[in-house]
Amino acid sequence: MKSVLDMKISETARIKRITAQEPVKGRLTAMGIAKGNLIKLLDHTLKKQTWEVEVEGTRVALRKEEAASIMVEEI
Amino acid sequence: MKKIKVAMVGQPNVGKSSIINSISDARLHVGNFAGVTVEKKEVLIKRGDKEIDIVDLPGIYSLNAYTPEEQVAKRYLIEEDYDILVNVVDANVLQRNLIFTMQLLDMGKKMILVVNMIDELEKAGGKIDDKRLSELLGIPVVLASAKEKRGVENIVEKILELYDAPKPKRKIYYNEKIEYEIEKLKKILLKSPHFHDPELARFYVIRLLEKDEDIYKIVHDLPIFLELHEVLGESIKRLKLEFDEDSVSDILADERNSLAKSIVMQSMIMPQKETLTDRIDKILIHPVFGLPIFLFFMWTLFQLTFQVGSIPMEYIDQVFTNFGDWLKNILPQGDLNSVITEGVVPAVGAIVMFLPNILILFLGINLLEQTGYMARAAFLLDGFLKKFGLQGKAFIPLVSGFGCTVPAYMAARTLKNPKDRLITMLVLGFMNCSARLPVYVLLIAAFFPAHNAGNVLFVIYIGGALLGLLVAKILRELLFKGEPEPFVMEMPPYRFPSLKALAMELWIKAKIFIKKAGTFIAAAAMIVWFLSSYPKNPELLAEYEARIEAAVSESQKKALYNELAAKELESSYLGKIGKFIEPVFEPLGFDWRLSVATISGLAAKEVIVSTLATLYAVGEADETSSTLRAKLAQSVDFKTAVALIVIIMIYSPCVAAMSTFYAEIPQWAWRGFYTVYPNVLAWLAAFTVYKILEFVGL
Repeated sequence: MKSVLDMKISETARIKRITAQEPVKGRLTAMGIAKGNLIKLLDHTLKKQTWEVEVEGTRVALRKEEAASIMVEEI
Repeated sequence: MKKIKVAMVGQPNVGKSSIINSISDARLHVGNFAGVTVEKKEVLIKRGDKEIDIVDLPGIYSLNAYTPEEQVAKRYLIEEDYDILVNVVDANVLQRNLIFTMQLLDMGKKMILVVNMIDELEKAGGKIDDKRLSELLGIPVVLASAKEKRGVENIVEKILELYDAPKPKRKIYYNEKIEYEIEKLKKILLKSPHFHDPELARFYVIRLLEKDEDIYKIVHDLPIFLELHEVLGESIKRLKLEFDEDSVSDILADERNSLAKSIVMQSMIMPQKETLTDRIDKILIHPVFGLPIFLFFMWTLFQLTFQVGSIPMEYIDQVFTNFGDWLKNILPQGDLNSVITEGVVPAVGAIVMFLPNILILFLGINLLEQTGYMARAAFLLDGFLKKFGLQGKAFIPLVSGFGCTVPAYMAARTLKNPKDRLITMLVLGFMNCSARLPVYVLLIAAFFPAHNAGNVLFVIYIGGALLGLLVAKILRELLFKGEPEPFVMEMPPYRFPSLKALAMELWIKAKIFIKKAGTFIAAAAMIVWFLSSYPKNPELLAEYEARIEAAVSESQKKALYNELAAKELESSYLGKIGKFIEPVFEPLGFDWRLSVATISGLAAKEVIVSTLATLYAVGEADETSSTLRAKLAQSVDFKTAVALIVIIMIYSPCVAAMSTFYAEIPQWAWRGFYTVYPNVLAWLAAFTVYKILEFVGL
């Protein structure tokens, strides 16, 4: 399955599943990163260590590990 | 008088503190990133015959509290007694905020929804129908903007109205399958004689379904617990099966998300795509240019701090000198005259001189906070900080550390993982606080060429930061094995800083600084003066008076006066203390005066300057070295001065900071470690630098 790591910059996709464990999962949900919402990849740092996404108007910075746990499907 | 207790709650960075500031005359600190308020704060306002007590809680993303400061808010919400909940949300991200609002609605309290920053949304072309929103949620809704003071009086009115009115009926319900289980469990809970309120029972049941440990602890001791526990297990199993999810909190999160989505759809017109933040971010967090731009900003800040800050210095110095001379003439001769004109006034003057530098540095840090750049810097530096065993969010306390170590220790609460937090706090002292700025400015001006001053200052600050990272790395390797916590951080949109708020923050800072100089530092200066003037030594005085009498030329007399003053100082209490500790600092080239000044810095870093001012005030007769700066340059050599700078960069922060650390970290072992290791490290580093400079022949 495709994760945020596989997205291109400026691409928008729909969140299908979040594989992270609690409490990170709850944290992501509270920031709006939840099943069914649209997610847009905005940017990542040079070494792809840190990623920035936008979900329902909120920008969130994540590490690679967390970004990999967000499964998406193309729309 | 009737007292209404109001709890102000909402997700981070929605402007809770700003709303309170605009309702009352409070001056709570605000910024544009998550986690500015880490401790609850209370504000009282009066309207008619009623008193409203508003408690500002730290921002909390959800009731599944994650960081220590969120725990503060959650505990308050669950355990404390209050009349009305005011839930503040950000109009720009209403949907996400409403998910938390749903959790709060579960509590069944009287509640008001305040939609803040409505001005920003409307400017971008969006709109919110407050009547419709209020109908859908079943609670009063106020559209507000703390920045434009719009709707804030409305909040107060609604609080007063709601206080007298009966509790409105619940409007939000979950999927009927969930409600069915809730209803069943609620009945069991209400069988217990401790429970009368069905709304509270419903809230507890929902939290129990979500496996909330805090609530679990509360119901654990109830007699009906066994029965409840069994049925709860069955309910959870059934729900997981029916919804095909891993946990009930996932199901409820999904429910709340869908509810929020549909509410937003019915009550809000979305703005056109806002692109200003996108465009700025394209440059500022550019993969290649982002870091250099960040470093350039920091470098500029330190240049400005030094260059612009030094402009008014001479005037301030002049004012204090004149004031001292004037006092000397009108006060009666004697000890009182001496202690004030020779001890207190020059000491306070020596420190107030640096007020412009400090204000510029604070302005810079405040700009970082208020524009939203702080979060970008955290984003840029996360990969870098991770290498040192820290995480991006640690950047926020670290930068606050450049202002003052005390709030920086508090700000470390935004780090969830206790290990991350402890490591960050242990190295925070290496971020040079603004109280150390006067000492650096003085030493740099005395020992380095003027055109390089700003650069040297930049190197000191960067050097301190790098050292902090290095120590963090070592601590992580040796003492705290394991990965740093996951990094998930909200990036706020860029906002134009409110000039009024900036001016207010600076004014408060200036007031605190002057107050500190006038009280604490004046007192410390007085103690240093007394210790340096007593005991009097009449034999010494008599001996020198005779020799001065016998001297033939003016210059000989002058030399003898200076010798007398130096001898008197050496035989004073302070001289004795200095001599006693001198051996410790001797390998660094410090004489007893520098040793005493270094130790006095533990009271407050500015005191180093005032102590030096007192100790080097000897030999006033020599008019070519009228200023402290020149006197230092004359009597201290370059490598010793550099060793002193290194010591000040590394050794323990002031007592106020240390007691904050002790308050935040309860373990005695860590307190002990924290108290000892910076001083050992400082000495070793200073010794190394001193020897290297000696080796290269400086």
